[in-house]
Amino acid sequence: MNDSQNDSEPATDADRTRRDPAELDGHTLDELSDYLDAGRAPADASIDSSPSCQIALTSLERLYRLSDTLLEAQASTEPDLDESWVAGILHNISRDSRAGRTIPVTHPDPAAELAITEGTVRGLVRAAGDMVEGLLVGRCRLDGDVTTPGAPITISVDASIGWGTSIPDAADRLREAIYGILIRHTDLTIAGVDITVDDVHNPAAKGSSR
Amino acid sequence: MGPQDQPIDLTVASDRILVGRAVDGDVRAFEALVRRYGLLIRVYAGRVLGSTADVDDVVQESLVQAWQHLPELMDPGAVKSWLMRIVSNKALDVLRRRREHGDITDHELRIPDDQIPTALVEKRSLEQALNAVLSDLPDQQRRCWVLREIGGYSYLEIGRNLDLPSSTVRGLIARARKNLIREMEGWR
Repeated sequence: MNDSQNDSEPATDADRTRRDPAELDGHTLDELSDYLDAGRAPADASIDSSPSCQIALTSLERLYRLSDTLLEAQASTEPDLDESWVAGILHNISRDSRAGRTIPVTHPDPAAELAITEGTVRGLVRAAGDMVEGLLVGRCRLDGDVTTPGAPITISVDASIGWGTSIPDAADRLREAIYGILIRHTDLTIAGVDITVDDVHNPAAKGSSR
Repeated sequence: MGPQDQPIDLTVASDRILVGRAVDGDVRAFEALVRRYGLLIRVYAGRVLGSTADVDDVVQESLVQAWQHLPELMDPGAVKSWLMRIVSNKALDVLRRRREHGDITDHELRIPDDQIPTALVEKRSLEQALNAVLSDLPDQQRRCWVLREIGGYSYLEIGRNLDLPSSTVRGLIARARKNLIREMEGWR
């Protein structure tokens, strides 16, 4: 009870043995958690054969399993996020940092210099994806030398498919939508659109996670 | 159902999809991540800091920094633990500044370990009971336990960040475990 009140003091032996040894057949909780961390190896007969140590080990294991869910449990009792707080964060992030490469756009007037950013093209691809039912578009890459007019560009898109949606069918509609939007808004030479469906989501969960 | 009519619902999207979009510059996807993990990382920051002061600043700064460094995240599926690491590092920076300014009141004047009441609040679940115990632990004890068991920091890392010898960190964590286990066994 003496120095244990002061957190900055190292735990002394007296402190560490204060409560445990009598209850844990000469072992401390600290030793037992090290034993657990080491996967109970090498086996220690004096621990393995002690009923009180076994009870403590079970409690420790239970505590380890619970530690992950403790924060979640606490968070679920907190009031909802303040909207102005969320808005404050979004206001402070830099949108420019995602512009990427600059893509020249040809113009009938050779004196006019016109360009769009890679970020804008990715935004178009996302917008196309968001129009396709049953599918969510993730990351999008432009492979090829976009800075050279006319150079062939391959669009690679990650996507998540909604439960119950046909992958080939959704992929076809997505490819079509991406071609359509890029032809309308850019003069990129699209060599291909590669779609990787690497996730599944449940559209029925809509709104329920809010 | 174009995006103009009704924005698509991103709450059903996986972390990987949201991270991918946010890396590409989709602010709405980042917003969905902020909403998904905002409360969790606030609670985490509070657990490390030990008071509600500075929590908002720490979490806001962390999220702004997260947006900036998101393209460097190798495994988009691990965004939750990545965010938590940013938040705890920021919280540790705040604690370091407090120490440098001689403001150490945050881990003194606390109830001695053995007198920590077993959760007096209404206990609806074991998790709530343990959270109540956690709230009552002396700051350094709770902080070390949380960084170790939830944040995955090593004894050495914790010691380095809190300017404590590893042996002290180890002792604090052992005591925190003891307090939590006592509550857990009482619960059974």
